[in-house]
Order: sequence, then structure tokens, then C-alpha cells
Amino acid sequence: MLSIRNLHARVSDKPILKGINLEIGTGEIHAIMGPNGSGKSTLSSVLAGRDDYEVTDGEVIYMGQNLLDLEPEERAWAGVFLSFQYPVEIPGVKNIYLLKAAVNAIREHRELPELKAGDFLKLVREKLKVMQMDESFLHRNVNEGFSGGEKKRNEILQMQLLEPTLALLDETDSGLDVDALRIVGEGINRMRSPECSVLLITHYQRLLDIVKPDFVHVLAHGEIKLSGDHTLAERLEREGYEGIEAA
Amino acid sequence: MSGFSEWLADVKDVCASEALAVGLPTKRVESWKYVPIRGLARTTWQPASPQTTEQFALTGGQFVNVPKVDGCAVSENTLTASEQTRLDRMSQAHGFGLTQAALENNRLVLTIQKTASVVLNLHHLANQASSAGFATLVLRVEAGGQLTLVEQFESTDIESANLSSLRCLVALSRDSSVTHVRFQAANATAHVFSNLDVECSENANYRLQTIEFGSKLARNDIYIALVGREASASVNGLAITSGTQYHDTHLAIDHVVGETNSEMTFRNMVDGKGEATFNGRVLICKDSQRSATEQSIANLLLSESARVNPKPELEIYADDVTASHGCTVGSLNKTELFYLKSRGLSEANARAFLQYAFAEKIVEKIEHRDIRELVETQLLGELKHGELIAELKESVDV
Repeated sequence: MLSIRNLHARVSDKPILKGINLEIGTGEIHAIMGPNGSGKSTLSSVLAGRDDYEVTDGEVIYMGQNLLDLEPEERAWAGVFLSFQYPVEIPGVKNIYLLKAAVNAIREHRELPELKAGDFLKLVREKLKVMQMDESFLHRNVNEGFSGGEKKRNEILQMQLLEPTLALLDETDSGLDVDALRIVGEGINRMRSPECSVLLITHYQRLLDIVKPDFVHVLAHGEIKLSGDHTLAERLEREGYEGIEAA
Repeated sequence: MSGFSEWLADVKDVCASEALAVGLPTKRVESWKYVPIRGLARTTWQPASPQTTEQFALTGGQFVNVPKVDGCAVSENTLTASEQTRLDRMSQAHGFGLTQAALENNRLVLTIQKTASVVLNLHHLANQASSAGFATLVLRVEAGGQLTLVEQFESTDIESANLSSLRCLVALSRDSSVTHVRFQAANATAHVFSNLDVECSENANYRLQTIEFGSKLARNDIYIALVGREASASVNGLAITSGTQYHDTHLAIDHVVGETNSEMTFRNMVDGKGEATFNGRVLICKDSQRSATEQSIANLLLSESARVNPKPELEIYADDVTASHGCTVGSLNKTELFYLKSRGLSEANARAFLQYAFAEKIVEKIEHRDIRELVETQLLGELKHGELIAELKESVDV
């Protein structure tokens, strides 16, 4: 469902991605690991359509269409969801406004009827419960004054509501304590279905203990250096990136 | 001859002659540097006549239906020496100040009695085409009194330039408080002038919330003097400027004595060929120790041709004070836009969300729920693509 071919991207004049090739099948979970500065976040940002990056070569085919031709909102309508490494605060806008606007924007493009207030509240309450979030979150401004863990839970809450077909999770585990990590991990597991593929970017093995990936890739210097199954993550934990790169 | 010349010539008093001799302020008058006075000068202004209404209103330069409420008394029109000095200071500032003084139609002096709690709703009615009304309101709040003053503007369409000017003196005695909400959504050809001079005695608190959407040209001169210990003042302001509108606020707060507090937060959002000016000055005098002030100015530019002239000024002569200030100018934040779009919001809706968010940070501080909701509804009407947020508010707010 997602095919990344020879993807090159740069920010300003600095090349970051130097020929990424990756195939993600429907319903698969792929983890991308790699040292700081290897291009992991750039990859997810390029896939979601952030315009700080310039794609200089390659293509990304997502469910038969060229993803790179689409605006960020068109990608969202097509089922792409990015969980931000640093979720953005929007003081002045209530969380519930964003959630309802987003759910209905995406439903509209899936040719589903708009969710009325009552149905929406029912749905959002159910998802809040999964994420162990209080209903007061809905009436707080988007991410404003949220702790690191609350922000990440809010991202996963949005993901559950938007039901993406491709979820890009950029270091969703960073800054989480043990309990929050478990809640977030279980939130991701609930998305596991034949319809949803996941690209999970992480530094650590610990999230992968909860969310078992089908494939693990090591990204370094803008290229995928090594791919394997979930045992690769365990090996990385033991040997470090330097050990793997040297081998 | 145009502008106010003919009218001033008819008045035939010293102040009018002086106003006539000095003329309207030119670009050389620093505080009027950006004010586009062409429209003022081109119109041959005539005295506006009052409209019929049942509300407490300012119309044609006259106050009508002054409410009879407990704790609020209409006083004689004799000013105290201090009030006269403050009014003279407004008049002498420049040629338009002199014009305001010379053409004053009506003056109202209200006293809020000791420990009384009074709410006044003043409606500004639109003046007819080419007509102007000038009035002065003097508010004396006695010790422990509480006043809530809400000013609203009628937005009836008028085919050409019209003008309304209100000079307002507020004196807060010790332990009194004033909450002043000003919601200016005047008609698109209006020229609205507001001069506000506030004096806060010991432990008095003055709060101004000013929201400006309307008029062709609006100019606010706000001066607040903290003259008693523990006196405090806060100003929260928002101006939304679009089309070819011009909004201008000059705000000055003087910490005349120590242990006084002030806070000013002002936001300008400018679109189209609009232009907004904000000059915010805080003065902490030499002996005003242990005073604190916070100043925050944010400007959002939404188009290539929008202009903003922000000028924060802090003058501190005391050495034991807490002062913070910040001033930003920018367009919509790209990361925030991307975040919203990545959640499926269209570019237009994402922009509307962020504009609403920018304005709401000021609007949400209005404590009076009715006024806040009125402002929010009109705000959403002003915003391009504000409908989605209006719908959301309607459907999920409880």
C-alpha cells in the first residue's frame, strides 16, 4: 500500500534522505530505528507533507496515487496520519473543536455522513476511556499546558478518532513514563487491523516490547542500512548502532 | 474650506479659534504620524443630530436616557480642578484635541456612590453622513464603588463618512474598581475617536477590555495614571483590521507612586490593505519602587499589503521594579498550519482556526458572558471562513 522508491530530500541545502527504499504492505507494522540525525523524523515529515523539506528525487506511491503530489490535508483525507514528535500547542482553540472538525473533514472525504454532536461525543468518550484521559481534555486548548505524556496521548486519541490507513508515529514513545508508555502502546495496538499500516519511528526497544513490529529497519545517514524482523530491535539494544554499522 | 473649518468658524470662541489656527495634526505630529487624515479633511463636517432611542446612548454628541440606577447619580457639570487639568491636557495635545474641545456638544458627569455596584451599558449610535458628534463623559467612582461600563457601537450602514468622538475621564477613589468593556463594531464609514483618561487612587483597580473590529478609522488615546499605592490597571486589547481600515491605539500608563501594578496585552490582526498602529508606553517614575509591569504586544499580518506599526516603550527610573515586555510581528505560524492540515482541515479552515485562536486569547478574558458571546459571534462573522468554528461552538459548547 505504500511504496517509497529512491527518496531523496533536503532541508535548505543539506541532503537528509539519500535514497530511501521501503515497501509497506497493508496491515503491516514497520519500525524505523536509527541514531540521532539519521533522517527518521524527516522521513515521516516528508510523507505527511511538511513543506520545510524539498524532495529532490524519488517517488512515494500510496494506494496507487503519488503521495508527494498531494497537499497535507489531501494526504489526511486519503488516510495518512502523522503523530507529531512535538505536538503543536494552539492556545485559543479547544481540543474538542479540532477533534470534531478533523473527524468530520475526513468523514466527508470518505463519503460518510457528518457526525452529529451527540454521536461525536459518544465516540470521543469511548476513545478517551481507552487512552485513560479525562473529559476535561476536550475543553482545554489544544495541547496548551499539557505535559509531555498528555500531548502524546492526545496524538494517539486523534489517531483513534481519525482511523487512518497509514499511521506515521514519530517518536511517540519519547518523554513517556512507564504507565503512559503502556497506554500509548496499547492505543497503537488497538489500531492493528488488516486496513491500517503503521510506520513507527523510535529510538528504543521498550515501545516495541508492547507493539510488536513485523519489520524493523535501521536508518543511518539518510539510507536504510539494514532490515529484519523484530529480533533486529533486540540486537540493536544489545550492540548499539555502532556495532550494527561496523558489522 | 473643508474638514471642521466652517463649523469651528461658526462657534466663535477662543478654543475654536485656536483649533482653526492650528488645523488638523499633520504627519509631523509624532503621535499622529500614521493617521490617514485625508478623509477627515475632505469631508465638510456638520453637527450630528440625536436619534430617537430607548437605550442609554450617545447620539449626535448627546447622552440620552441616562439610566436612573441606585448608587449612580448625575452630578452638576462643574469639573474639579484636577478634572479640568486632565481635560485641558487632552485638548492641548494637538489640533484635533482642540477641535474635540471646541465642538463638544454635551457633557455628562456621573458619580458612582460609596460602595455601590453599578452596571452601565452605553450604546453609541451611528451619526448621519458628513455629521459629527463630540461629547465628554466624566465618571467619579467613590471609595469602594464598583462600576462596570460596557460600550457598544451600532453598526447601521451609513452611506458616507460619519464621526463620533467621546472623551472620558474616570477617577477611581480608594478601594474602588472599574471594569470597562469597549466593543467597537461601528459602521464601515465611521470615524471613531476615543480619549480615555483614568486616575487610580490607593488600592483601586481599573480593567479595560477593548475589542475593535469596526469603523473606517478609529483612534484611541488611553492614559492611565496610578497615583495611589497598590493601585493597579490592566488593558487587554484586540484590533481586527481589514479592507482599507485604519485602527490606532496609543496607550500610556504612568506609575506615579510605588507598589503599583500594570499589565497591557494588545493584539493586532491585519488583513487586506488594513493598517494598525499600537503605541504602548509604560512609565515608572523615580520613586515608584516595588512596582511591576507586564507588556505583551502581538501582531499578525494576514496579507502582503497589510501594515502594522507597533511601538512598545518602557521608561523606568526606579531601580526596584519588575518589568517584562515582548512584541512580535508575524504571519500565521507554518508549523501550526501544517498540524491542522495534517488533521484534515482545509487550508482555509486551518487559517480561520489560527486567526480565531489569536483573537480568542483576548476575547476569552471578557468576564461578562453575554458580551463575550456577542463578541465571539461577531468575531466569527468577521473572519473569512469563520463558519466552521461557529458551527463547532454551537454544537459542542455547553
